Amino acid sequence: MNILPPRRTHDDFANEVQSHLDLETDRLVSEGMSPDAARTAAHRAFGNVAGVKERFYEASRFIWLDQFLQDLRYAWRGLRRSPGFVATTVLTLAVGLGLLTVAFTIVNAYVLRPFAIRDPQGLHQIVWRAREGGGPGFRWQDYDELRARTDLFTAVIGEQTRFVASNGRPLMTGLVSSNYFDALGPAIAIGRGLGAADADGAGNPAVLSHQAWIRLFNGDPSALGRDLDLNGRAFTIVGVLAPTFVGLGDMPRDVFVPYTEAWTPRQRRGANGIRETEISVRLQPGIAAGQAAAALTPFLQRVIERQEAVRAEVRPQTSPNPLTPELLAVLAPVFTAFGLVLVTCCANVSSVMLARALARDRELAVRLSMGASRGRVIRQLLTEGLVIALLAGAAGLALAAWGLRAAVFALFSTLPAAVAPLLRIAPLTFDSRVFLFALTVSAVATLTFALFPALQASQTSPIDALRGQGRGGCPGSRLRNLLVAGQVAVALVLVITAATIARNGTAVGAMDLGFDTTGVISVNVRGDQDELARPLADALAADPRVADVAVTSGNPLFNLGLMVAAAPSGAPPVTPTATTFVSPEYFPMLRIPIVEGRAFRADEARGAARVAIVSAATAKAFWPGETAIGQSIRILRSNGGRVDELPEYPEVTVVGVVPAIVGGVMISGRDTGHIYLPMTSADPHATAILVRGRTDRDLTAQTFHEIFRRIVQDPQVFEVLSLAEMRALQIYPLVAASWVGWLLGGVALALSVSGLYGVLVFTLGHRRREIGIRLALGATARAVVQLMLRQSLRLAGFGSLAGLVVAFGVLKILDAAIRLEAITLLDARAFAGGAALVVAATALAAWQPARRATRVDPAQTLRAE
Amino acid sequence: MKTRQVAAPNQLALLQGTLDVLILRTLVFGPQHGQGIARAIQATSEDVLLVDHGALYPALQRLEAQKLIKAKWGTSTNNRRARFYTLTRAGRNQLVEESSRWRRLAAAMARVLGPEPQQR
Repeated sequence: MNILPPRRTHDDFANEVQSHLDLETDRLVSEGMSPDAARTAAHRAFGNVAGVKERFYEASRFIWLDQFLQDLRYAWRGLRRSPGFVATTVLTLAVGLGLLTVAFTIVNAYVLRPFAIRDPQGLHQIVWRAREGGGPGFRWQDYDELRARTDLFTAVIGEQTRFVASNGRPLMTGLVSSNYFDALGPAIAIGRGLGAADADGAGNPAVLSHQAWIRLFNGDPSALGRDLDLNGRAFTIVGVLAPTFVGLGDMPRDVFVPYTEAWTPRQRRGANGIRETEISVRLQPGIAAGQAAAALTPFLQRVIERQEAVRAEVRPQTSPNPLTPELLAVLAPVFTAFGLVLVTCCANVSSVMLARALARDRELAVRLSMGASRGRVIRQLLTEGLVIALLAGAAGLALAAWGLRAAVFALFSTLPAAVAPLLRIAPLTFDSRVFLFALTVSAVATLTFALFPALQASQTSPIDALRGQGRGGCPGSRLRNLLVAGQVAVALVLVITAATIARNGTAVGAMDLGFDTTGVISVNVRGDQDELARPLADALAADPRVADVAVTSGNPLFNLGLMVAAAPSGAPPVTPTATTFVSPEYFPMLRIPIVEGRAFRADEARGAARVAIVSAATAKAFWPGETAIGQSIRILRSNGGRVDELPEYPEVTVVGVVPAIVGGVMISGRDTGHIYLPMTSADPHATAILVRGRTDRDLTAQTFHEIFRRIVQDPQVFEVLSLAEMRALQIYPLVAASWVGWLLGGVALALSVSGLYGVLVFTLGHRRREIGIRLALGATARAVVQLMLRQSLRLAGFGSLAGLVVAFGVLKILDAAIRLEAITLLDARAFAGGAALVVAATALAAWQPARRATRVDPAQTLRAE
Repeated sequence: MKTRQVAAPNQLALLQGTLDVLILRTLVFGPQHGQGIARAIQATSEDVLLVDHGALYPALQRLEAQKLIKAKWGTSTNNRRARFYTLTRAGRNQLVEESSRWRRLAAAMARVLGPEPQQR
């Protein structure tokens, strides 16, 4: 339906006017006038025909379009005449837009983009919450029970995800309920999804994700019907998903197979099951999420044992990480940093456009004196900006596509080698949201970079400009100076942030962990089948290639320590203390010295004796000024009750003291306190293993694979990572963040340097006469250089000052919000270094124009006077 | 011969905003083209009101945009093609409203100005 009536044409109106004149002439002729006189009289009565037609034209609502097209043509012609200007501005903006688009595309893939399924808004996830703990994990039998709740849900989907070995490669596998594909309805590229007929797993059907299909089969359609080894069992590939859907989570799945009991070890079936099944639902029409949660709470209170105040939560599962205020608080600073770079780009372009507009003083003056309104001149300059922004938007998208590929490549090639094969990246594709974002940002950028110059330029006084004088002094200099100072400030903020992160990364990287990682390999059990660690420890100890084996209840650097409230006997409970069960081999293996007392004896380990070794920090906190040896500790829960996991340990005697180590994450620093309790590999607390080979080459991935196979069918149950790799992995986020910071800071710095350079060259052009006269009057080259440098130093100085203040404010706020032992956000060296770098760079930018100023020829200047 | 639109001493230029209501009033008698409307206003005001033919068209355009009148090409009595304007329902309502407003205004003005002073 057409909302607007069809536009009346200009010709139609001209016809009407003509008809009016004819009718009037007719009437006058009929009153006895001669035809010629009548025509003249009719025209006279009508008045200004052209004027009326013009008013018709201006009143028609498409005039702005005509003018816009005219401006567009004009802008295009103008820009084609100055390709250098276009290239500079478009490239500058494209860098800023590209960087921001990269950041947005990643957030889009993980947060904003809904799952490519039928009605993603209707999908919810069931989560349990309790006083101590909570999460999305359930047992498969709970899923089976929930499936019957058709009063609440139209569909209930269950999925377990885990790495499964396929000929030695780990594949991220989704073990899904048979209704998974029917209820979600993802697009299938070739073949079929899994259906109700596959519920019993007969024929072992498997559906590949598009990513895995490309990686494993090079996208060969004949993969359909081929076999895929999973854990030694042959599965038949029955379908391949379209690239848009990779599973309901952060980690893209490689392959989907129907869940059957065979996937769960016998001893873990039924009530002994591990809570590793995630449940997604579609609500019945008319049932709200809150209602469903209330109805589920009694059920959860029954199935989640040994937890207090259990309740259900039914939360939207539209995307892998639906946007929440907490997530926004994390994303906002990152986006601000990327946004600031774009702002610097805009400032540069703005500055260049201002120079260009001022150089076109005469042209604008002619347009104004020919009757163009100021608004029309501004609109014309904005149109020019818009053309540049659109070109830059397109270039920015191209740059972003390239940048994303480079970033993913860099990520995979810099991650510790043991981790890279386990990483899966969500498809980072451009969709309508990304295009819309790029378009919006380009439009906003246009306003910011083109409006100021346009306003400034349109103030041209036609008379002065036509007389060939231009405005006195250095036109637009205030605005340009402000832009440059702002750029310097932004660059400094980003450089200081990058330097702070980098220095923290270096400091954390060089941190003394309190133990020696050399040659020690950690083996953890994935999922929750912790009991598998015990036979594995024995198998490893029996292997001739293995030198030492220690079992623990949580390996250092993996943050799996049990937190208990411990206190010296007779005193009230104090702050939580990390508690770890270790076998006697633990301390010598990690070269942790016993500073006081003695190590655990083998018989203490076998008998789970009530003895403990504490860290020096705990000893000092519990018994200041006294020896810890021989003292006893009460181990309680934070609320004063007994610890369920430690029924045998209400009270223990300290036999030794060791230095503090980093048990968890390095950025938190060394543990504030630690209690070690003895055990052997037969103990149920033995859930993780530390192992050292006889030589470095003894324990290869192949060796581990072979040993694991003796214990379990699926070697991917075990996670092998050397402590050195874990250490690298922990530092990695800091290192990566500092790279991003340097990139942003570097771009901003380069832009502000070129911005400053531009301003100085421009100023030089305008002050050539003045400098020539100064030289003629006997000023030395030195004085002229000083003259030029003074301006640049003033700009850089103001900018740096503002940057320092802002950086200090921001980091101060972050410092108050983030309390991490090993992280220092207010780092004087980072501030000083950043400021020195920025000032040096700006001085460098000023040097060349300053030198050029000394070469002004006084004779030439005076002759031109 | 009242063709020359130079204001004769007994003619008045239109007040701002009066042209619209005059056009609407003229169209009550049926469809009319622009020249006809101009002539009709002049004739019914017994040549007191002076209509600038050129100014008529922006007014017609405005009324058409406001959907108070609609237009259609047709043939005039002397067989010329002309664009005929017709009053819409909205235009009729507008006319009723506007004319009462003008009447009240005219009456009020007359009361304020009082009886016409005696001419010499």
